[in-house]
Amino acid sequence: MCAAVTMSVASAQARVPVAWCGVVATVAVALVAAEAARRGRKLAVLRDRLAAQENALNSRLAQQRAETLWLADVLLPDAVARIQKGEFPEDVLAAIAATRTGRDPDSAAVHLKVVRTVLEAVSAEEDMRDSAQRAFVNIARRVQAIVHQQARGLREMEDRHGNDPEVFGDLLRLDHGTALIGRLADSIAVLGGARPGRQWSRAVPLFSCLRGAMSRILDYQRVELHSVSEIAIVGPTVEPLIHALSELLDNATRYSPPETRVHLTAVEVQAGIAVEIEDGGVSLSEEARTRAERMLAQAQAGIDLNDLGETPRLGLAVVGRLSQAYGFQVSLRSSAYGGVRAVLIVPQEHLTTASAVGRAHGIGAVSVTRQDTSHPRISIPRPVTGPRRTMPVTAMDDDTPVVTERTANGLPQRRRRRPFPPPRTASASAAPTPVTAPDDAGQAKEPVQPGMWLAAFQSAVSGEPSEAAPVHENSEESSDKGE
Amino acid sequence: MSESDQKSDAQEWDEGDPERLYVITRGRSGSTEKAAIDLVTLVVSRSGPMPGMQPEHAAILRLCQSPLSVAEISAYLHLPVSVVTVLVADLLAGERVEARALVPPAQLPDAALIEAVMHGLQKL
Repeated sequence: MCAAVTMSVASAQARVPVAWCGVVATVAVALVAAEAARRGRKLAVLRDRLAAQENALNSRLAQQRAETLWLADVLLPDAVARIQKGEFPEDVLAAIAATRTGRDPDSAAVHLKVVRTVLEAVSAEEDMRDSAQRAFVNIARRVQAIVHQQARGLREMEDRHGNDPEVFGDLLRLDHGTALIGRLADSIAVLGGARPGRQWSRAVPLFSCLRGAMSRILDYQRVELHSVSEIAIVGPTVEPLIHALSELLDNATRYSPPETRVHLTAVEVQAGIAVEIEDGGVSLSEEARTRAERMLAQAQAGIDLNDLGETPRLGLAVVGRLSQAYGFQVSLRSSAYGGVRAVLIVPQEHLTTASAVGRAHGIGAVSVTRQDTSHPRISIPRPVTGPRRTMPVTAMDDDTPVVTERTANGLPQRRRRRPFPPPRTASASAAPTPVTAPDDAGQAKEPVQPGMWLAAFQSAVSGEPSEAAPVHENSEESSDKGE
Repeated sequence: MSESDQKSDAQEWDEGDPERLYVITRGRSGSTEKAAIDLVTLVVSRSGPMPGMQPEHAAILRLCQSPLSVAEISAYLHLPVSVVTVLVADLLAGERVEARALVPPAQLPDAALIEAVMHGLQKL
């Protein structure tokens, strides 16, 4: 346009060069404009690419950050927890590799390396702890085995030297000392994470359990055992209960003046059985009480043998462990006597009302020779060898022998325990025969004149008629076991 | 520990009673009671067992409704004689049982006297 205006203004001769100049200038301007536009476009493209790249980098960074956070917050704690639960490091690593398929492969490899290093360190530590605990338990088991053997030997000696009070008294003292060693070994086993020691397959009366707990402490003579409800503890709970109670009793007798008594009672409550141990010692201050309860709670959460310190007070730690494993509830309060009152509640599911065999209840009526350990303890009413002076008809229930074993072809077999065999005559077969064993009815009817008092005594031993039912029930159960 | 190990272990542990004999006698060995009660002393209960009694005491009272010697009580209860002696002494102190020696030693003739008689007879 500029060239056109100039052409119209310029003279005729100058028109041609001016036109050329105009054309050249126009072309030059056009070229410059085109180049500028091209560069502008290129710049925009580059800028876009740059922005995209920056975005990509940013998101990558954010992802890396997230991965690292995930490693710290989820992956490592999870892996360590699995190791602590006892899984092998290889398994844990494989599981992690499997879950990581969707993620960034580079960081995955690095993460696996990190996890591997940590896991190796942790599992080495765990192995060390485990082997330490196993060693503890192993040693405790060996001590327990020796103590048990010793106790059995002592019991035999006590039977053998029962006539000689001096020897007998010495044996009792040795027996007591052995029981104390046994309790210590049990405590170590429990703190090592194992079960206390011996196991009982049969239910044991609560009274026996309480006395069993008493027999494992030093000052058992100071413990006053009060009325106890007639209930039995199921076999698997017997040993832990005895052990926990003996630790509580030990605390009670140890931290109260030697002339005071410690009261031991057991009452039925809604939740089960509450065993109370009250001493007349120093009252528990609020601070001491919280400390003790904290110790119990700590033990329930699991205890480290390394945390016990230089002068370990095993008692409460053991009680806490046991109550956590068996659901006992333990509480320590101030006692009305001024001392401490410990209450241990045994939940309902550990109790049974089935007549339990033991020395405490139904003694004499239920017993079997001690040497015979191949059979479960069973109750056999002794055969009656003479006429009864009282209740000749109703006592027939007692005469029905209890089947304790069966022969190979299924016939009932009765074991005789007493050395004097009752005489048998032909008239025996004429007597009315109970279902289980015809032999015994004959014995029952057999008129044997001498030993009238013995017959009466045996009727007393074989249990009053009212006691007959539980005795039968019990032996049936035993015979089932025996088969 | 393998399962079979545990089984044999459990069997080995599972016998006897949780309570030891010294708890039953409360630590007494019967050395002081020995003079009054021996193996053949006959024991007879005066009353039946009372609730709240120690089970062994109750068992002796149940057993001894007819006279029974200390040795027999010991056999039936599976308790050593010394333990039974202590328990019977407790019951005697509480006047729940009566005890009688089978043959009072005082009524037996003196051994020296018998010997003297024998010598006298031989000299005849």
